[in-house]
Amino acid sequence: MLSVRSVSKRYGKTVVLDGVTFDLDAGKVLAVVGSNGAGKSTLLKSILGLLHFVGDIEVDGISVARQGQQARRRIGYLPQHPAFHDDLSVHETATFYARIRGVPVAEALAAVEAVGLAEHAAKAVGALSGGMRQRLALAVAQLGDPALLVLDEPTAGLDVGARLELRQFIAGQQERGRTVILSTHWMEDVPAMADLVLVLDQGKTSFFGPSSMFTAAASPQSRMFLRLNGRTDEAIPLITSLAGTVTHEGEWVAVTCLAASKAQVLAALFGAGIKVLDFRVEDAALPRTIDSGGRGGLS
Amino acid sequence: MTSAMPVLLKELRDAVRSRWLTAFAISFALVALALAGVQQQGDVGAQGFNRTTASLINLCLLLVPLIALAMGAGAIAGERDRATLATLLAQPLTATQLLLAKYAGLNVAIWMTVTLGFGIAGFLMALFSPVSDFGHYLLFIVLAGGLASAMLSLGVLISVLSEGRAKAVAVAMLAWFVLVLFYQLAAIGIALTVTPSGEALVLAAVLNPVESIRILAVLSLEPDLQVLGPLGAFLNTEFGAGRSAILLAGATAVWAAVPLAVAVMLFRRQDA
Repeated sequence: MLSVRSVSKRYGKTVVLDGVTFDLDAGKVLAVVGSNGAGKSTLLKSILGLLHFVGDIEVDGISVARQGQQARRRIGYLPQHPAFHDDLSVHETATFYARIRGVPVAEALAAVEAVGLAEHAAKAVGALSGGMRQRLALAVAQLGDPALLVLDEPTAGLDVGARLELRQFIAGQQERGRTVILSTHWMEDVPAMADLVLVLDQGKTSFFGPSSMFTAAASPQSRMFLRLNGRTDEAIPLITSLAGTVTHEGEWVAVTCLAASKAQVLAALFGAGIKVLDFRVEDAALPRTIDSGGRGGLS
Repeated sequence: MTSAMPVLLKELRDAVRSRWLTAFAISFALVALALAGVQQQGDVGAQGFNRTTASLINLCLLLVPLIALAMGAGAIAGERDRATLATLLAQPLTATQLLLAKYAGLNVAIWMTVTLGFGIAGFLMALFSPVSDFGHYLLFIVLAGGLASAMLSLGVLISVLSEGRAKAVAVAMLAWFVLVLFYQLAAIGIALTVTPSGEALVLAAVLNPVESIRILAVLSLEPDLQVLGPLGAFLNTEFGAGRSAILLAGATAVWAAVPLAVAVMLFRRQDA
């Protein structure tokens, strides 16, 4: 369905994608993961033909570089930061893109309804919240029922409920035989959403294979920063007994642990009567167990 | 081109919604009517259209390039600013189609503005005074539209080359200043200083569509050597009114086509 062959992209001397190659069968969901600047968005934009690249990308055998218009008829795109003309209403926006895609206007209205924006149809896009804007982008991406959906960081900025909805949406698309490629830097999203994983590291493929293989070898990790009310000496051994690495960074206690263990750490601190004044969570760097040298190999 | 039609229609719709173009159309109409009124009061004959047309040429040469350059400058750079360019190009639409649809939509909008503004004034003038020289007035409207097409093409090229709308509009205003104000004062003098030949004068006339349209408009009305200025007078003497008109109209058409073609070529090479 999607064939990516030796795709490279550079901006001046900076190599953003370096010989990325993979195939994706119809009905599969592929998660492209990697840290910021790994080349995820560049790869997705190349698949859409929005960027000029070296190599070859085909959608259903149609070259994106040479027959971009035909290829894009088969692709729906959800950008990382959905942008529309603010002066148009939700209804006008959906209709505008439906006409460009040669889709009946009735389908545009149905798409708006399907993403729960029917009651906001007359509202100007400029007045929509970020979440509503993303729903509209999802409606636009589905116009014409494209065989391939390209979703760039679809979970970024979503609350838990919205992320669950998105997972259901992707599962629904897969049930209908649609192919989905999504980028994320949330390692937790991978097993729940994708069949396959492509890990990019500085533009190179460091892993491509089934998500089960990926998660078994590279359990998603988080880095949690905690500000406690002074009982740090007591807290550190407690956290160490539950999680991987604990360090003291100024007024913060930095904890690197399995993503799934975050709540356990917090619960233990509360249980010990240690007050957590503030905390923030980041995804940890990709686990070192991923082989950075080869395609599909795990060390 | 079916995929591009909604883009063209959106440009048109935006222009209709835009108060700027409506304001320009009304201003054109009011100024044309005022000029006609003033001239009729001091006039014994029915020469309304010719005199009004002559008075409108300078206004047209100032305002039409200003609107067209500003609108063209916003065409692509505006989409870049709003980050909507990637959304548009992610659709089954080629870069060429998008650019040409935007140009066509804006072109139709400006032609509509010019035609409505001067057309309404012409219609009202015809209601209150005997019609004479109406052909010249119609030709003037066509020339104003032609100038708009050429300047819009340049504006779109500036837009493609600019990172954002603000920069594009600033460059467009500079282009307007050079082509409309500076050119008449300095460029002709420089051309004559560099090479005091007839070729230099012809080049000076065809290298600026504003100058081409000015000479064309005067040629069509009153091919008087003094009114034509040094470039127009030279062309008229050297080639005659007919051949000069063809040369200048051709130059304006090239101005409408070449910057647009360059814009398409560059836009196709750019990443979204």
